[in-house]
Amino acid sequence: MKAVCWMGTSKVETLTVDDPKLLNPHDAIIKVTRTAICGSDLHLYDGFIPTMEAGDILGHEFMGIVEEVGRGVTNLKRGDRVVVPFTIACGNCSFCKKKLWAACDNTNPNAHLMEAAYGYSGSGLFGYSHMMGGYAGGQAQYVRVPFANVGPLKIESDLPDEKILFLSDIFPTGYMAAENAQIQPGDTVAVWGCGPVGQFAIASAFMLGAARVIAIDRLPERLDMARSVGAITIDYSEDDVSVLTALKDLTAGAGPDSCIDAVGLEAHSTELQGIYDQVKTKLMLETDRPSVLRQAIQAVRKGGTLSIPGVYGGLLDKVPFGAAFGKGITMKMGQTNMHNYMQPLLERIEKGEIDPSYIISHRITLDDAPEMYKVWRDKKEQVTKIVIDPWAERKVA
Amino acid sequence: MSDALREKPNAEPLPKSAGAGVIVNGRYLPPPVDKDGKQWVRTSAFIQASPQDLYAMWRDVEAIPLWQEQITAVTRTGDKTSHWVMKSGDKTLEWDSEILADEPGERIAWRSTGGDSDNAGEVIFETAPGGLGTVATVLQEFRMGKFASMWETIVGRNPKQAVIENLRHFKALAETGEIPRNQGQPHGPRGTVGGAKESLYGEKVETPPAMDRKAS
Repeated sequence: MKAVCWMGTSKVETLTVDDPKLLNPHDAIIKVTRTAICGSDLHLYDGFIPTMEAGDILGHEFMGIVEEVGRGVTNLKRGDRVVVPFTIACGNCSFCKKKLWAACDNTNPNAHLMEAAYGYSGSGLFGYSHMMGGYAGGQAQYVRVPFANVGPLKIESDLPDEKILFLSDIFPTGYMAAENAQIQPGDTVAVWGCGPVGQFAIASAFMLGAARVIAIDRLPERLDMARSVGAITIDYSEDDVSVLTALKDLTAGAGPDSCIDAVGLEAHSTELQGIYDQVKTKLMLETDRPSVLRQAIQAVRKGGTLSIPGVYGGLLDKVPFGAAFGKGITMKMGQTNMHNYMQPLLERIEKGEIDPSYIISHRITLDDAPEMYKVWRDKKEQVTKIVIDPWAERKVA
Repeated sequence: MSDALREKPNAEPLPKSAGAGVIVNGRYLPPPVDKDGKQWVRTSAFIQASPQDLYAMWRDVEAIPLWQEQITAVTRTGDKTSHWVMKSGDKTLEWDSEILADEPGERIAWRSTGGDSDNAGEVIFETAPGGLGTVATVLQEFRMGKFASMWETIVGRNPKQAVIENLRHFKALAETGEIPRNQGQPHGPRGTVGGAKESLYGEKVETPPAMDRKAS
C-alpha cells in the first residue's frame, strides 16, 4: 500500500510499504477513505517530538471501511463505516472507567519510553512517535486499529466523509478546549490560534453559551473564517496592535473570562520574548516556545480559566506563575478524551447544527502530501486544513 | 539436569512475611538497595480484577509465556516446582524454580533452585480502595552475572526493566485480554540509525505471547 512516511526532520515521503495485518485479537484493519494532516503533525515535521524514527507512517486523523477484524472484535464487522479517534484506549483500566481515555494504562507498548522522558505514560496514539506507542498512522491506504471494540465510532448515516472526518481529532479537541474553558452564559472567551482546533474551539465556545469570542491570529484567511462564525478578531502582527491591550480594551480592562491556547509549543511572537525562545530552543536550553501561554496567563481575568488544547512537549521558560497564582486562575489541559465527545458531536453534525467541513482548504492525494507538509509549515497557499483521499490518483499538471 | 545446572548456588529465600510491601507499621518502606552482587526491583500496579483472579493467573505457571517476555516454556515438575526456559537473542537459558510461599488470593513467593538464573521474587495482591481493583506489587531479586549481563547486552532490555514490563503485560492481559503490540506493523525503510534505535527502545524484545504461539 501507499503510506506517508516520516524520514527525518522536514523530510516526508510517500512510499510503498507492506499492508498492515491483524496482530492482536482486538485489532481491526481499516481501508482508509479519508485522512488529514493535523497541525500537530507539523510538530513532527519540524522535529519537535522525540522518538520519531525514519520509516514511521504518519497520520492520526482518519476514517474508512472495516476490512477485517480480529477474533476478539464484537461490535464491528467487515464493511462497517467508521471514524477512529487518534487516542487509543482499552476501555477497561481504571482511567478508561473514569472516562479519562487519553490516560489509558494499557495501550502504549512503549510506555517505558514515555516514563523515562516524562515520568508517566498516557495512551498510545496513531502515528505520533515511538514514545507514544510507535503505532503506524493513517495517512495510508490501510491502517491497523488496535482495541477496535472501544475506539471506532460506527457511522450509520450517509453523511459524506468530509463532514465526519474531523471527529477523529480536531472537532472533539476544539470542543473539549471550550468545555475545559468552563464557559458560563454571557462569558467572553479569547482564543489564540485560528487553525483547525482554534476554529472548532470558537464554534464550540458559542455552542456552550459564550456571548463573545475573540480570535487571535495573523493569517487573514483564518481571521476571515473566525469572523464568519461570529468572532471578533485581533491580528497580532499588525504594527500598532498589542494583544494584551486589545483584550483589555475589549473587556473594560478586566480580561477575558476564559482563554484558550490553541497554539502550543511552536508559538510565533512579534515581541522580544519570541526571539529569546527561538534562540533558547535552538541551543536546546528550552524545548518549547510558550509565548501564547505567557500571554494567556497575563490576559485572563482574575479567577478566570485557561484551557490549553495546544500541545506542549517539555520544559518552559519564564511562565508568569506569580500572575497565575495571584489571579487564582484555573488551568485545564491535556490530550483529548476523544471517546466522550465523538457520539454527541456526531449527533450535532447529523442534526445540522454544524458542518465541520467548512475549515477544509485543500484536497490532495497521498503523493501530494510531502509537498503539502512543507506548504502548510511555511504558511503558504492559505492552508487551513488539508484532507487526503488515499485512493485518488495525482492529477498531472 | 546438567552439571552446570547443579553447580549454581541457590538464591536466598525471601522472608516468611510479605517482603514486597510498601508500607510497614504506617511508614513508607523504600525498595531494597542493590548490594553484594544482588539487584532488586520493586514495581506495582492497580489492576481492575479481584485479588483471587490475579493470584490464579500468576499461579498458572505454564501460562506464564503468555505474558512474560522471552520466557518460551514453563513446565510444572511438581506441585510447587517448575522448569523455566528463556530465549534471549540466540541464547537459551534454563533454570528450576520453587514456590516458597503460596497464599491463595494474597501472595506467592519463589526462588530459583539451580540453572542459569539466580533469582527470587514475590508478588502480593491487595484490595485497593476507591474502586481501583487490586494493587499488585512485585519484588524481584537477582544476581548480576551471566544471566543478567547477557540479558542486558544482547537484547537491550535491562533486567530490572523486564520485571516492570512483565507486570505491565500481566495487567494489560488481565484487564483487556491482550498485550499492546507494535511489532509486525508496516513501515518505510529504517536506515542504520533507525534499526539501532529499535533495539535501544526495547522494540526488538518480542511482546508476549510470541506470534507463533498466538497462531496456535
